[in-house]
Amino acid sequence: MTDAKPNALTAAIQNKRLRAWLSIQVESERYQPPRYGIVLLQVLVGILFFVLVTRLWYLQVHSGGEFARQAQENRLRLERIDAPRGRILDMKGKVLADNRTTYGLSLIREDCADIPATLARIAEWAGVPLNQVTESYNQNRLRVKPFEPLLMITDIPFDKVARIESERNSWPGVEVKVRSKRSYPEKEFFAHVLGYVAEVNDRELARDPSLAMGDMVGKLGLEMELESRLRGQKGQYSLEVDAHGRTLWKTLKKEPQSGEEVRLSLDIALQRAGWNALGEEAGCIVVMEPDSGKLRALITSPAYDNNLFTSGISQKDWDLLRNNKRYPLQNRVIQSPYPPGSVWKLIMASLFLERGVSPRESVYCPGEIKLGNQIFRCWKRGGHGSVNLESALVNSCDVYFYLMAERQGIDRIERFAKACGFGSPTGIDLPHEASGLVPSREWKWRRLGRPWVRGETYNVSIGQGTLLVTPIQMAVFVSALLNGGDILKPQLVDDAVPETKARVPAKPETLKFVVNAMRKTAAQGTARVVSRPDADMGGKTGTAQVVKLKLAAGDRRLRTSEMEYSQRDHAWIATWGTKNDKTYVVVVMVEHGGGGSSVAGPIAAKMYDHLFGARRETPKPAEPEPAAPQPGDRPD
Amino acid sequence: MDKRLLYYINWGLLAYVLILYLLGVGNLYSASSTRLGSGFAVADFYQKQLIWGVCGIGGMLLAMTFDYRQLRNLAWPFFLASLVLLCLVPLVGKKVYGATRWLSLGFMSIQPSEVAKLAVLLLAARLLAKEQRPLGWKDFLSVLAVGLVPSALIITQPDLGTTLMLMLILAGMILFRGLRGHILKICLVSLPCIAPLMWFVGMHDYQRQRILTFLDPGIDPRGSGYHILQSRIAIGSGQLWGKGFKEGTQSQLRFLPERHSDFAVAVFGEEWGFVGCLCLVTLFCLFLLSIFSTAVQAKDRFGSILVVGIFFYFFWQIFINISMVLGLMPVVGIPLPFISYGGSATLLNFTLLGIVLNVSMRRFMFKS
Repeated sequence: MTDAKPNALTAAIQNKRLRAWLSIQVESERYQPPRYGIVLLQVLVGILFFVLVTRLWYLQVHSGGEFARQAQENRLRLERIDAPRGRILDMKGKVLADNRTTYGLSLIREDCADIPATLARIAEWAGVPLNQVTESYNQNRLRVKPFEPLLMITDIPFDKVARIESERNSWPGVEVKVRSKRSYPEKEFFAHVLGYVAEVNDRELARDPSLAMGDMVGKLGLEMELESRLRGQKGQYSLEVDAHGRTLWKTLKKEPQSGEEVRLSLDIALQRAGWNALGEEAGCIVVMEPDSGKLRALITSPAYDNNLFTSGISQKDWDLLRNNKRYPLQNRVIQSPYPPGSVWKLIMASLFLERGVSPRESVYCPGEIKLGNQIFRCWKRGGHGSVNLESALVNSCDVYFYLMAERQGIDRIERFAKACGFGSPTGIDLPHEASGLVPSREWKWRRLGRPWVRGETYNVSIGQGTLLVTPIQMAVFVSALLNGGDILKPQLVDDAVPETKARVPAKPETLKFVVNAMRKTAAQGTARVVSRPDADMGGKTGTAQVVKLKLAAGDRRLRTSEMEYSQRDHAWIATWGTKNDKTYVVVVMVEHGGGGSSVAGPIAAKMYDHLFGARRETPKPAEPEPAAPQPGDRPD
Repeated sequence: MDKRLLYYINWGLLAYVLILYLLGVGNLYSASSTRLGSGFAVADFYQKQLIWGVCGIGGMLLAMTFDYRQLRNLAWPFFLASLVLLCLVPLVGKKVYGATRWLSLGFMSIQPSEVAKLAVLLLAARLLAKEQRPLGWKDFLSVLAVGLVPSALIITQPDLGTTLMLMLILAGMILFRGLRGHILKICLVSLPCIAPLMWFVGMHDYQRQRILTFLDPGIDPRGSGYHILQSRIAIGSGQLWGKGFKEGTQSQLRFLPERHSDFAVAVFGEEWGFVGCLCLVTLFCLFLLSIFSTAVQAKDRFGSILVVGIFFYFFWQIFINISMVLGLMPVVGIPLPFISYGGSATLLNFTLLGIVLNVSMRRFMFKS
C-alpha cells in the first residue's frame, strides 16, 4: 500500500489529504482473471468472426450477382429519343403531312426561385389566364421530379418565342422546349386520305411494346395504315443517375431512325380541282389509273380539318363534327355504300354477254312492264321501242335489263357481281372500308325471313333495291373493264406494285363490248357531258333512287329541287378517258345530287379538264339531249 | 518515467488500430466523394477525421503518461461530473435531427454521453475490482445503478444506441467478473419480461418502426426499409473482389444513406468486396484479442476489469454496427470504431486505447 510512482501532477499537489486520496492501491494477492471470463471473451470474438464472415459470404459471394444487378438497376436508366415521323408527299413531292417544330414552355421547379411570380409571367407570355396555368402546374407538379422540366404551355407562336428567349434569363427555371408536331397543310383536301396522328392510348400501348406514353401514333387513314413505315425507330440514351434521379452522364446508345418518307400517287392539284368541282355538294370523286390501280385523286366532301386531332380535339369541335348532318367524318369513297343506279348496267351487260346473250337480240321496250300487279317502268315514258344490248346501255333502257335479268336469275347475278369485287372491300389501304351489299336469296331469307321475289331481281338489274356499292368498288370495276379484267387493289402509295385481287370472269370480247358501249354512251348517249374531241372517252351515268319513285300530281315525276334533300336521288357517273396513251377512270358520286348526267357528269368533265387540259370547245352542253326527255324524265 | 515502459508498449495493438484508422480515413475519402456530371465533389469528412485522429492520438498519449491505477481514484468525481454534463444537455443542449445530444462549447461541440461512457467504465471497474468472489446482490445492484442513472438521462435525449451500449458494456463486465449462480439465473429469467416493457414504454415510434422494418424491409422500401435494402445492395454488389476504390456506385451516387457515419462499412464492402471485408473483420478480431490478452495479463483486478470494459466497448460497437449494415440487426445509431466518421467518438476511442496500452505496458511493474 505504498505510493509507487507519483507523477508530475500528484507531485505538484501539496495537500496531504489529496495525496492520500490519490495514492494508488495495489492488491496484495496475485491477480488471476476469472477462468470463465477468459473463455467468455474468446468465445465472443469467435462468434463475432464466424457470424460476420458467414453473413458477408452469403451477401457478397452467394448472392453477390443478384445484388450487383440491383445496384446496376439503381443507377442505369435508358431514355428514349423520338424518331421523326416520315413525311407524306403527293405524287409531285408536295408535302401533305409534315413535322412542324412547336415551342413549349417548361418549368424546372428546383431552379425557380419564385414559383407564383414565374407562373404569372408564363401566363402573360403565353396569353393564357393565370388560373389555368396554376391549375395545370398543381395538377402535373407531382408527376415530375423537381429537377425535371414540367411542361406548362405546349404551342407558342414563333414570334412570341423570340421575346420569351430574350427575357428568359431573368426567370430562372423557365425553358423553351422544342417539340415536333404533325401538321397537315392541305387540311380538308386530304383529311380522309391521311387521317391523323394522336397520342397513343392504353390499348395501343398494350399491343405494341415499342410504344411509350406520350407517343403519337396514326389513328386513322394512311397515318394508321402506314404506321410501320412512317414511325421510324426510336433511339436510346443510356444514362447514369444518382439516388435522386439526377442525370450524371448520357451517352447515345442507339441513333434514332427516322420514319420513311412516303410518296402518294395522289395529286394535290387534281384533288383541289375535284374539291372545287364538288362545290357545296356532298359527294365524292375517285380518279384511278386502270392499269396499275393507282389512285390519282380521292376526294370526299364535306371533310374536316385533321389538324384539329393532333393535339387532342376539343369537345366542342368534336360535337360539331359528329352532329353535322352532312357527316364530314364519313369517307364517302370507301365507307358509304349507295345504290348504283344505272351504272350497274355495266355489270349486268357483262353478265349477259358471258351468259350467251347475243348483242343482236333485241327486246321491245314499251316504257313499262307488268309483273303481277306491279308496274316496272323504264325511265323513258313511252319506251325506247326495239333495243339491243348496246342501245339499251347507251340509252340506259331499264326494260331491256328487267327482262334479261329475269332470264339469268338472281343467283347468277349475285355470283357474277361478287366475282367482280362487289359485296366485299377492295382492300384499299384505308381503315374501315365498307363492303357494300350484293343481295341474294340466302341473304334475304336470313335478313328478312322471306323468300326472294322476282321483282327484286328487276330492281337489282338496274342497280336499285337492296344493292349497295361503294364508289371505289365501281372505280375498280371500270378499271377492270379497261385493263382486261384484272380486279386491282386501289393503291394510294406511289411505289406500290399493282396487286391483282381477282379477275372478272368474262372474255376479253365481253369487256371490249362494254367499253365500246361506254364510248358510245359518251359520244351520243346519256354520258355526253364528258365527251371531248381531243380524247377517247367513255361513261355511264346513274341516278339512284333513294325512296320509291314518287309521282306528283298527274303522272309527272317530281323535279329534284322539289324533293326533300334526304329523298333526292344519288347522282352517279362512271367514266374513263384516254389521251396520249394515258387512261384514267373517273367515278363521281353526288349524294342526293339528282340526275347522274346533269349533276355528276359536269364534275367528271371538270376532272378530265384537269387531267387532259381544258377543252378547246365545249361540246354543245346547252343543247337538249337528243332523246328529248320529257320534263321530269331523267335519263340515267 | 521508467524507460522500461516504452519497451513494454503493446506495439501490435497500436499497429492494428493505426491500420484500422487509416483504412477508415481512406474509406471516408471515398464515401464522402460524390460523383457529379463530370468529376467528383469530395466533402471534407476525411480531413476532419484526420484532425480528430491527431487529437485522438494526443488523448491516447496523455492516457498513457500516468499510472492507470490513479483512474480508480478519479472514478467517482469523473462520474459525478459526467452526470452534471448530462443534466445540462436538456437545458442548454443543441438540437440536431430532433435529438438533443450535444453541448456547444463555442469552438466545438461535445457529446456528454460519450464522457458518461468513460465515466461509467471507470466507476464500474472500480466497484467490480473490490473483491475476488463472484458478485453478490449488493455489488451487483450497485454496479447496475451506476449504469442506470446515466442511462436514464441519455435515453431521454433520446439516444437509444448509447443507452444500449452502456448496459451491454456493464453486462459484459459483470459476466466476465462472474455472478453468483442464482443471480445469473434470475437475470436470465427476468430479461424476457423486461423486453416487452422496453417495447411499449422505453421506445419511440421511430425505433419500433426500425425494428419492424428490420424484420421485413419490404414493408417500406422507399422509407425506413430503404437503409437496409440499399446497404445490402451496396455490400452484396461488392461481390468477391469489390468494385475498387472510389468505384462504388451505391455510395458515390448517394443511394446509400449515412454512408460516412453508421453505414461506412457498406462503402468499404462495396469497394473492397468479400476479400476486403474478411481482412477488416480479421483485423477487428485481432484488435479485440489483443485487448483481451491485455486484460488477462494485467497485474491487478482493476486494470483487468477496466480493459475488459473497454473490450466490450469496442466489441459491441463492432458487432452491432457491422451486423446492422449486413442486415442482421435493426438499424441503431451505433458507429463502427475507427471506420465511421465521428469526432468525439474518435477522440474517445483513442483515449480508451491509450488506457489499454497503459495497462498493457505496466503489466510487469510489480512482478518482483
